[in-house]
Amino acid sequence: MANGINTTSISLNAIESMVVGRLKSGSKGFYALLLLSGLLVAVAAGVGIHAMVKGHEAFYNVTREMPWGILISAYVFFVVTSTGLCLVSSIGHVFGVQDFMPIAKRSVFLSIATILSGFFVIAFEIKIPWRMAIYNVISPNITSNIWWMGTLYGIYLMFMFAEFVFLNLDKHKPAVFCGFSGSVAGIAAHSNLGAVFGLLMGREFWHGPYMPIYFITSAMMTGCAVIILFHYLAYKVNGEQMDGKMRRALEVTNKIGILLICVIMFFTTWKMVSGIAGQPAGKYEAIMALVSGQFAPNFWIFEVGMGMVFPLAMFYLSKGKNLTMMFLGSLSMIIGIFVMRFDLVMVGQAVPVFHELGVNEYKHIMSYTPSLYEGLITIGGVGMTIFMFLLGEKLFAGHKVEEHAEHH
Amino acid sequence: MNKSITVIIAAALMSLALAGPGLAGDNTNHGGDIVYTKPVKSVLFSHKVHVEQKGLTCDMCHARSFEMEALKAQENPDFTMESLYQGNYCGACHNGTMAFASNTRCASCHTGVKGSTVAQGH
Amino acid sequence: MFDKIKLDNLKNEGVENVPMKERREFLKMGFALTGIFAGGTIFSAVSSIDRVFASSEEFASKYPYKPHYSMVIHQDRCIDCERCVEACAATNHVPHEGYRTRILQRDVPDAVGQKREFIPVLCNQCNLPQCTRVCPTKATYKDPQNGIVMMDIAKCIGCLTCQEGCPYNARYFNEEKHAVDKCNFCFDTRLSKGEKLTGCAAACPAQCRVFGDLSDQSSEVYRKVHQIEKAVWVLRPEAGTRPNVFYTKG
Repeated sequence: MANGINTTSISLNAIESMVVGRLKSGSKGFYALLLLSGLLVAVAAGVGIHAMVKGHEAFYNVTREMPWGILISAYVFFVVTSTGLCLVSSIGHVFGVQDFMPIAKRSVFLSIATILSGFFVIAFEIKIPWRMAIYNVISPNITSNIWWMGTLYGIYLMFMFAEFVFLNLDKHKPAVFCGFSGSVAGIAAHSNLGAVFGLLMGREFWHGPYMPIYFITSAMMTGCAVIILFHYLAYKVNGEQMDGKMRRALEVTNKIGILLICVIMFFTTWKMVSGIAGQPAGKYEAIMALVSGQFAPNFWIFEVGMGMVFPLAMFYLSKGKNLTMMFLGSLSMIIGIFVMRFDLVMVGQAVPVFHELGVNEYKHIMSYTPSLYEGLITIGGVGMTIFMFLLGEKLFAGHKVEEHAEHH
Repeated sequence: MNKSITVIIAAALMSLALAGPGLAGDNTNHGGDIVYTKPVKSVLFSHKVHVEQKGLTCDMCHARSFEMEALKAQENPDFTMESLYQGNYCGACHNGTMAFASNTRCASCHTGVKGSTVAQGH
Repeated sequence: MFDKIKLDNLKNEGVENVPMKERREFLKMGFALTGIFAGGTIFSAVSSIDRVFASSEEFASKYPYKPHYSMVIHQDRCIDCERCVEACAATNHVPHEGYRTRILQRDVPDAVGQKREFIPVLCNQCNLPQCTRVCPTKATYKDPQNGIVMMDIAKCIGCLTCQEGCPYNARYFNEEKHAVDKCNFCFDTRLSKGEKLTGCAAACPAQCRVFGDLSDQSSEVYRKVHQIEKAVWVLRPEAGTRPNVFYTKG
């Protein structure tokens, strides 16, 4: 890297040959994976555009009563991940904790990749996305959390992109500025996403200050898992051994991961207890759907088992050193977290707004199963993250970090 | 043992005798459920409720208020609530003294569009 | 319920207002006690209006809109003939998959006497709508003149957050219009053309839906809402949206 992009006098031909050289350095398995993930994105884009042209109604399983489906929860999942990567990685390069330095570049790159994946899936959930580009600008509604979230995530993406460029140019000061600004925009944007749910007074499961707070905390938890997962995978892809500094960085990430799983367990416990004690109308039915109703397998197996208990055990037992255990823990955690997002979106809608009225039409808790198209687009979003991750490893030569220590 | 069989046979015969008037008709459900769809959808008249539970006899209604043929009444232009209030059709009994008045408990008889689809479904 | 009433009056009104304040307090207690059983929850009839429009003595001059369109629904008169639903669909070109108004059915098998009731629902044209607050592009907004919650379909991005925000399930995505669609009290199709009633109110054979201007003291809706002899309530008052569709019986 030192003789790469950061030399401004370099010729275009040299850049071209360098990029081509790096891209050609992958193994057969690498190209197979790249092709597969690219294919997933292409299929998702194909069915997404098909649904958009023909009308979503025929292809999606969302209803008038449950208008938000798996694509919204996938979007939440991706932006949660992006915000988490930004926040956890900023501990190092923004706030100067040296141990976190080695993970900075890859994390910032992945935060861009994941938020783009998020935008990719939500573009197919929003019915007329091009109108958003126009009217978000010329007809803004400042009381709308969706508006703030969209706008702030736009700013966030800009800062993260700039930060990544500056990190690769080895310009530390502007990178810190962009990293800090990106973190602030990310926290603001992400808590607004929480408020999209939390400020809806007619939806008891979501309503309250819990959502914005929970979103930020769970973002950091997700960030830790994703950092461990992708750094483990990156060294497999590149066929390299981690050095001591990288091992140390993952060890502290593992520690923060343990702390944040415990915080989320604490949050979840009180969310459940407060929804059961006194049986608050609307909330109680939703919580019980998680505890013993149709969402119970999701909750106990995926959310609690795979999302919290198993990764906590793995992270703890690994002592931050056993990378295989940490990898398994983080992989399980990410699957669990995806289901957490799914349940969060669905359970909030599952109790009909007229449930308390006691009418025949809305006596039961509603359910939702994603359609084929919705499933394919969600998988396409995951494919997009994998595709960009793989490409990034080669293009940026394993996101190697220069010694920044002398700047401090 | 023999004694109890005798009791059962006697009871069965007795109940048959009591149900005689009903069995004498051409059907055992006393005309079944009638779903009126005019002038509004829809009103459910249950013979079961009126004959079995309330104990009405056929000629109490079919002598004057209703012809024997089902749904004949709704072809008449005066098959309206206004007419019921004047003592015609259902209003002959549903006047507040014999049975609840026609201008109360609307949804007891009016089962609505939902009621008509449910009735057809059965 | 009484706690809420106290909270509503936390604002210091000054010593000179004490007798009036106490009188109102007393009245509200009476209203609370006359609150009726509706949908499994005891709602105080008139106290919900107090929460919408401040006190009954003052509000007439304080109605925010002119005309302030409102609907009073006589729940016990509904027979689910669904002429309102048909009229609405015909008037406003509502596609088969959607609806702007609907009749819900509530069965209470162990009730004494009548065991079934029908509950018409539609957009409540709330004074504090959630839908307009959450819309990112102001595609749905409160009309500054008459308070109807309108749609500007060209601005709708189809995020459906308004559908999530609505406590009355009054919105749906209209594939033909490429926008969310909802009841607007037939403003474009009838009221703006000089009609006095909405399509549904005009089609109802049982005078179940009474439509009018709440800011006009001589209107039927005004007289039905501003009395204390019969219970008047709103659906989902806890959602805090201050609806303009009221329910009553008798």
